[in-house]
Amino acid sequence: MDSKIRFRARVAVALSIASAAALTGCGSGPSAPAATDDGQPIEVWARAGTDAATTYAAMFKEFTAKTGVKVNFQGVPDLDQQLQTRAASKKLPDIVINDSAALGNYTAQGYLQKIDRSSVTGSDRIADSLWKETEGLDGASYGVPFSRQTMVTMIRKDWREKLGLPVPKTLEDLAKLATAFATQDPDGNGQADTYGMVVPGSTERGYLGWWASSYIWQDGGSYLKDEGNGKYSSNASSPETQAGVSWVKQQFCTPGNTQPGALTAATSVASPFFQTGKAGIILTGPYNFSSFDKTPGKDVYEVIEAPKGSKDNTVLAEGENIYVTASNAKKDQTKQVIDYLVSQDGQKAGMTAGKQPIVRVPVNSDVDAAAVYNDPRWSVVQEALKSSSKAFPSAINFVPFRQAAAEALNKIVADCPADNVASGLQALDTAINDELNSQNAKS
Amino acid sequence: MTATPTKTPVSRPAPPAHKAAGGTRKRRGSKQSLAVWLFLLPAALLGLYFKFIPMFEGVRLSLFKVQPFLGDIFVGFENYAKVLGDQRFMEALGHTIFLGVTQTLGALLVGFVLALLLEGQARSLWFLRTAIFLPVVTALAVVGEIWRILYFPTADGPLNSILGWLGLGPLQFLNGTDTALWSIAVVGIWSGAPYNMVIILAGLTGVDRSLYESAGVDGATVWQRLRYITLPALRPSLVIVLTLAAIRSLRSFTEVYVLTGGGPAGSTEVWMTRMYSLGFQRNDIGVASAAAVLLLVVTLLLTVGTQYLAKRKADR
Repeated sequence: MDSKIRFRARVAVALSIASAAALTGCGSGPSAPAATDDGQPIEVWARAGTDAATTYAAMFKEFTAKTGVKVNFQGVPDLDQQLQTRAASKKLPDIVINDSAALGNYTAQGYLQKIDRSSVTGSDRIADSLWKETEGLDGASYGVPFSRQTMVTMIRKDWREKLGLPVPKTLEDLAKLATAFATQDPDGNGQADTYGMVVPGSTERGYLGWWASSYIWQDGGSYLKDEGNGKYSSNASSPETQAGVSWVKQQFCTPGNTQPGALTAATSVASPFFQTGKAGIILTGPYNFSSFDKTPGKDVYEVIEAPKGSKDNTVLAEGENIYVTASNAKKDQTKQVIDYLVSQDGQKAGMTAGKQPIVRVPVNSDVDAAAVYNDPRWSVVQEALKSSSKAFPSAINFVPFRQAAAEALNKIVADCPADNVASGLQALDTAINDELNSQNAKS
Repeated sequence: MTATPTKTPVSRPAPPAHKAAGGTRKRRGSKQSLAVWLFLLPAALLGLYFKFIPMFEGVRLSLFKVQPFLGDIFVGFENYAKVLGDQRFMEALGHTIFLGVTQTLGALLVGFVLALLLEGQARSLWFLRTAIFLPVVTALAVVGEIWRILYFPTADGPLNSILGWLGLGPLQFLNGTDTALWSIAVVGIWSGAPYNMVIILAGLTGVDRSLYESAGVDGATVWQRLRYITLPALRPSLVIVLTLAAIRSLRSFTEVYVLTGGGPAGSTEVWMTRMYSLGFQRNDIGVASAAAVLLLVVTLLLTVGTQYLAKRKADR
């Protein structure tokens, strides 16, 4: 090849490497970059699928009509991965609406601005306990509560009545009901093809740790113990946690009490067992009401208050917060968006404006979920949230703990003949303590 | 025979005619090479931007505690130490090697048998080959979902029903800690074998038919024909198949992720799923990148090693 051409080619390759490297931006610095106002409409991201995005879009349309503030909204299903991409380019969206459990991770990454609680109009209409959940390890608020919900127990009412069994009041009752659904042909088709509980028992995304937490709390156990001042200790090998996990293992190891393949099922694989009439009990969020009302049908299943364990009937509470990112320099617009989202109008729009409620149980105490939805089932959710619910700690990054719990529990319940509850939880104890140390949150 | 243009020494001026002809050829040559580079440039740029730069970025990230927004902190080889000292990664490595060996050999054997059975020009064979090739072009996520249904772990599950007719089962398949990894290996073999079949079929067309006829005249058995004619002729194809299958198996992810998510009890966790959960579920990009670089190194060694062994065998 001609040497000039060869030289030019090398120059071209070198230039393209240089430009591409510049584009990928491999900067590093000690602190978050300064926020600047780019003059564009305020950018809001939320973790939302197609149905939820319709509600957000309708809600922000109403907001813009009221205030004149334009919003550039994006519903992003894989929000955390996309946020990482934006973080790498040092320009996060202005506001992010996501799980309350994401707070610890976001603060650790330097994504968030502190929130002055008193600057939020109507902040006194939001319960103190909810504001408490928005505190980081330093005691400052890093989010504004937007929506809350609890897990609820749903049962095939027609099956239960056909078998002449009462509404379960205790975990023993619930286990008996599951066995009855699996063994007494509740659908009357003459075949042994029905199961008790629908369980997302996969380790993927920590599903099993998430599902089992309510039952462990109900027996007085827990993964973590809050020692105050942002410090925690592991509680995984306490006798109470062992009792809760033993009950969970008993369900996996009683044939038919959980659906086949539960050990490797994510929610997307597990939930259809309830929808298609193959299983009769499910512990899930109220966001499933709309799809379960279509199949198996609103009139064939009931939403009950959680059965009691040896201690109480605590269920997992979850929710979404509004987070203001470190890139946000649009103070006025941000205040208007937040004030609207937690106002009565905003909360109601979030419940009813689109195909799927994005505000499940409102955080604004002036709004009554059961009245807005005109559905008494929401009273069960609202009542559980008020008097018998518990959230995972949000000041620390809880994701690794949930993952470790799922992996440990999956190992324990997979080996039915083994007497492995104590040893398995001892291993989880070690994993939790290691993670607490690495997050500098060990008491 | 064409004359090759010779470069004229600078000290001795060439005859004018010669010079003119040479100059034209040189210009044509440089234009041609410029055209070649221009055609190559889009693909090269795409490859550079979407493959090589991310690869080098991955190597860089593996040396840092990654905090995209706050700025990364250099930690040297700490991430590598974490990966190599992590028992879960070591278990995943064992599962990955198991899957690699069983899927590679299984898919090779099944692909070879399929190629021998389906070699020929008949229209029916063409149709069969196309049908058998379908798993290769079907999205692995879809394949996974279909196999999940086939593996339904009750007596009335599709595969367990067949086992029931034979008086066997029911098996737990994906739900059993002893059977889950084997079940995934079968899915890998089922989806990988047709690809190998196509490569081996291409190799089979290159085998000289007269050798078979001569062997037939000499009274060689079918096995002897396979052993002394077919297999030696297929060596280049087999090297390609082995190399590709080994790399593919080491990078097993989708089928495991879709079928079991790494469970039950971590019995099917492989290198890639562990890497994924660290990188995307725990946000530990640095450690995940270190694991990715180690996988790259192992894959590279495996590829070079396979090629080297094949070359040495061919030289002998």
